Amino acid sequence: MSESWNHILNEMLTGSLSTVLNLLKVLIPLMIIIEFLVQYNILEKISKRLEFMGKPMGMSRDAIFPLLVGTIMGVTYGAGTLMELNERKPLSKKDFALIGVFMYLCHGIIETGFLFGINGANVFVVVGVRLLIAFVVTCIAARLPYFRKMEHEKV
Amino acid sequence: MKKFFNTIKNGTFKGLKTGLMLLKIMLPIYLLVVLLKYSPIMPWLQEICQPVMKLFNLPGDAAVPIITGLFTDEYGCVAAMGGFEFSTAAITTIAMVNLMAHSIPVETAIAHKIGFSSGKLAVYRVAAAVLVGIFIGWLGGVFL
Repeated sequence: MSESWNHILNEMLTGSLSTVLNLLKVLIPLMIIIEFLVQYNILEKISKRLEFMGKPMGMSRDAIFPLLVGTIMGVTYGAGTLMELNERKPLSKKDFALIGVFMYLCHGIIETGFLFGINGANVFVVVGVRLLIAFVVTCIAARLPYFRKMEHEKV
Repeated sequence: MKKFFNTIKNGTFKGLKTGLMLLKIMLPIYLLVVLLKYSPIMPWLQEICQPVMKLFNLPGDAAVPIITGLFTDEYGCVAAMGGFEFSTAAITTIAMVNLMAHSIPVETAIAHKIGFSSGKLAVYRVAAAVLVGIFIGWLGGVFL
């Protein structure tokens, strides 16, 4: 060990405390926001206005709502919504795959924006640039034969 | 109005509950990383990781949060990051690399359940992480 134990223990104590505080600063606002989004069906309303985004990304209109849920609130919520929706009105395999392409690059933007923002990252990059990257990659993927041939397949 | 306050109350409660659960993982990671940082393994690890981290315009230390994040999640990455001092540009790059590829074992298992191919997905995410890391590292070097 290159440092004295006293110094190390001191660092551990103050560091642990700031880890706890930073985590609560992220989670409490996050959970309040998510609770509002769920209770007041906010994303359902927003997704109606965003349906036009489906076209460049090669998705059907119905795919936008689960995608929005996953992107804003996180993969767990997104996957839940996707499964629920798929039971009522099955989506094509292409929709599924493209939602996956987008959502695995960019999900839970409120959570990660807060988390990395509070811990010192540039929020504009972590949220804005990430959304843009996911959007561009999905637009390109939608035009590849690999995804196009899934259009008429069911999951 | 009652719904409004209930929403805030429930949100706060859920936040505290999730926080407690996450801390059980984050604190041990943080403590291990601090120990690792002062151990004789660290200089050796830095030297090995330096060439790869240079791709992302990052110091060798950055390998610790990135690798931790691959196997745990964003919270693990942040906990590991807490052990070191990084610049804003470096934190942003680490964040982006980690956001593209994290919790690979857990999330690919979930993906398999919904019907996505686990192997392809893992490759896709790691490839995305490398490309995005190079791009953001360059961006951070120029603008931040």
